[in-house]
Amino acid sequence: MKVLVPLKRVADPDNANKVKVTADGKKVETTGLEWKPNPFDEYAVETALRLTEDGTKPKTRAGEVVVVTFGPKECEITLRAMLATGADRAIRVEAEDDQLDGWLVARALKKLVEQEKPDLVLLGKQAVDGDTNQVGQILAELLGWPMATSAAMIKEDGEALLVGREVDGGVINLKVRLPAVVTVDLRIVAPASVYSKLTKADFKYNEGVRFAPLPAIMQAKKKPMAVLKLADLATDTALRIQYPRFEPPKGRAAGKKVKDVAELVDKLKNEAKVL
Amino acid sequence: MQLASVATPTRPTQQANERGGEPVKQPVDIFNPTEEHRHLRETARKFGESVLGPQASKRDLEESFDPGLFARFGSELGLFGLTVSADHGGVGLDSTAAVIVHEEFSRFDPATTLSYLAHEVLFVNNFYHSADAAQRDRYLDKVLSGEWIAGMAMTEPEAGTDVLGMRTTAQRKGDRYVMNGTKQFITNGPYGRVFLVYARTGPGRRDISSFVVESGFKGFSVGKKETKMGMRGSPTSCLVFEDMEVPEENRIGAEGGALVHMMRNLEIERLTLAAQSVGIALRCCEEMTRYATQQRKAFGKRLIEFGQIQQMVAESHAHTMAARALVYTVAQSISPGRRESLGAASAKLVATGVGERVARAAIQVFGGYGYLRDYPVERMLRDAILLSIGGGTNEAMQKNISGDLSDMYG
Ligand SMILES: Cc1cc2nc3c(=O)[nH]c(=O)nc-3n(C[C@H](O)[C@H](O)[C@H](O)COP(=O)(O)OP(=O)(O)OC[C@H]3O[C@@H](n4cnc5c(N)ncnc54)[C@H](O)[C@@H]3O)c2cc1C
Repeated sequence: MKVLVPLKRVADPDNANKVKVTADGKKVETTGLEWKPNPFDEYAVETALRLTEDGTKPKTRAGEVVVVTFGPKECEITLRAMLATGADRAIRVEAEDDQLDGWLVARALKKLVEQEKPDLVLLGKQAVDGDTNQVGQILAELLGWPMATSAAMIKEDGEALLVGREVDGGVINLKVRLPAVVTVDLRIVAPASVYSKLTKADFKYNEGVRFAPLPAIMQAKKKPMAVLKLADLATDTALRIQYPRFEPPKGRAAGKKVKDVAELVDKLKNEAKVL
Repeated sequence: MQLASVATPTRPTQQANERGGEPVKQPVDIFNPTEEHRHLRETARKFGESVLGPQASKRDLEESFDPGLFARFGSELGLFGLTVSADHGGVGLDSTAAVIVHEEFSRFDPATTLSYLAHEVLFVNNFYHSADAAQRDRYLDKVLSGEWIAGMAMTEPEAGTDVLGMRTTAQRKGDRYVMNGTKQFITNGPYGRVFLVYARTGPGRRDISSFVVESGFKGFSVGKKETKMGMRGSPTSCLVFEDMEVPEENRIGAEGGALVHMMRNLEIERLTLAAQSVGIALRCCEEMTRYATQQRKAFGKRLIEFGQIQQMVAESHAHTMAARALVYTVAQSISPGRRESLGAASAKLVATGVGERVARAAIQVFGGYGYLRDYPVERMLRDAILLSIGGGTNEAMQKNISGDLSDMYG
């Protein structure tokens, strides 16, 4: 199977409280924060690796994982981190962060999919900076491909994937024919959530995203990294999504202390009106 | 700079342009000289945080060692043989890489890191640079994969700092040596399959040779596991050799040549032990700062608002930065072909002192909670103290530094 994983870097999500809005409200200020791969995109790469190997022999590749990002040269560090983790090939589309929106990225990805012809495009369900949760869906629509979002389980099943989506109150199981677009949620990196047709059903992965082993880190620079121009993938590069102004969220008001359960129930009923 | 960040975050051009000035030159990042070093730090950090950290306190309490976890350093992370050439199955990196791994792991679990050090630095690095091709063929694969746990045995019950006072003998008998003696305080002793052992092969004080000893050799036995104040997740024991036969092909280098091996390995040993102290100091800085700024209030104020707490937090931070800078600076000038004994001794002396003081300050900032096993800082202090003793005591460092200086000035 050939899997294309689009990914992006985000300002360190563990220090999101340090993100500031500039005085004029025009920009989100991330200076001083480290760039990290978007966590859901890391899960997508882990999922792609699991789908292109036999879990018992992860050093032997049985498919191809191509990672792609849009951004300036320094984004290549993020791509190489993914190559070190096991991806086979990387593509960087030259662009500045503020020249991009979800609509443009999805259209450029469509063109890239036509060139690369993957069997599957795997994405994180959303990037934790803008939290827009739209690129996967727009891409599937543009391609006319089947789609499953927020996957928590994927099993390869012939020419299709069985996808489990966690929703309020349970799991929806879908069968999507390949080629397809799938976006993944946190639970996808649980030990028994992804099975390629080679991996036996009783095999369990380590919880979470695998570590980049040092020998692979040393080899990462030798893996192919192509650089494309945004204009090669999209003729119309005008942005559809405009952000007129940013405001930090309001600080939370102090809570109220209650004497007993009766008062709590009363307040929930009459003040908060949630009961 | 945030001490804990993987890379010093820099977006210099953009910052400069916003101010309308000249682009600021990208500073040299001595902590991550190449992108590979930075990715290595990320791997070590993630593994430390998600795998070593969660069970570190349990291993400390139970004084237990997890060989399965140890094997993952080799099989999963490829972290054995950092300084072994890639042509021989290693990674082909440098002292800075070794420092990075020891620092990052020690932020979460200094004890398991000490066992890693005994295997990777005390055995693998020394063995690789001193052994011949046939010896490498026989042992290198097994220790690089982590299939065999290794260690090094120099110290004896009655000779520690006074290394040349060792009494273990290896007497030649035809094509073998017969070894007798006891080695004390040997890290990985109870679990090791292979050890680099120093023993006396002649009457002179310097007639000492290096040997590769397998735990399966007849006459080899392991003493009881020691009960320790700190580094409790790292098993320590004595090794006893009673008429143990060691084949001649297990002697490393020339007969009487051990001092060269010892000396060549000394600096990277000291540097990585110093790196462990830096890791401990970084963790303790982080813990005490978070506690004082976010968690604890007294008299209606956050702890960080009290001047005496500020002194502890600020001095800890500043001293940790200084120790860290020294360790990484010295790392750049230490390689098998290049020695820097003054730098390595200075780095160990400074960093171990900082590790102890910062861990102690962290406990003080935490107050009574710092004294409980529920928080990591008291474990960090107990672990930190070993680093002022093992691999050469701080008094030995003072002696060496003074010796080197008096050679230079005398
Ligand atoms: C947990 C642990 C793990 C260890 N792991 C290993 C290992 O894997 N392999 C190994 O070979 N060894 C190991 N050691 C041994 C360690 O290296 C020695 O303990 C250390 O070198 C000190 O030797 P000693 O304990 O014999 O102390 P001594 O040498 O007896 O020193 C006692 C005191 O006297 C001071 N002193 C000694 N000589 C002088 C002098 N000339 N001038 C001034 N002061 C002096 C010392 O600094 C110290 O304060 C380990 C020790 C511990 C505790």
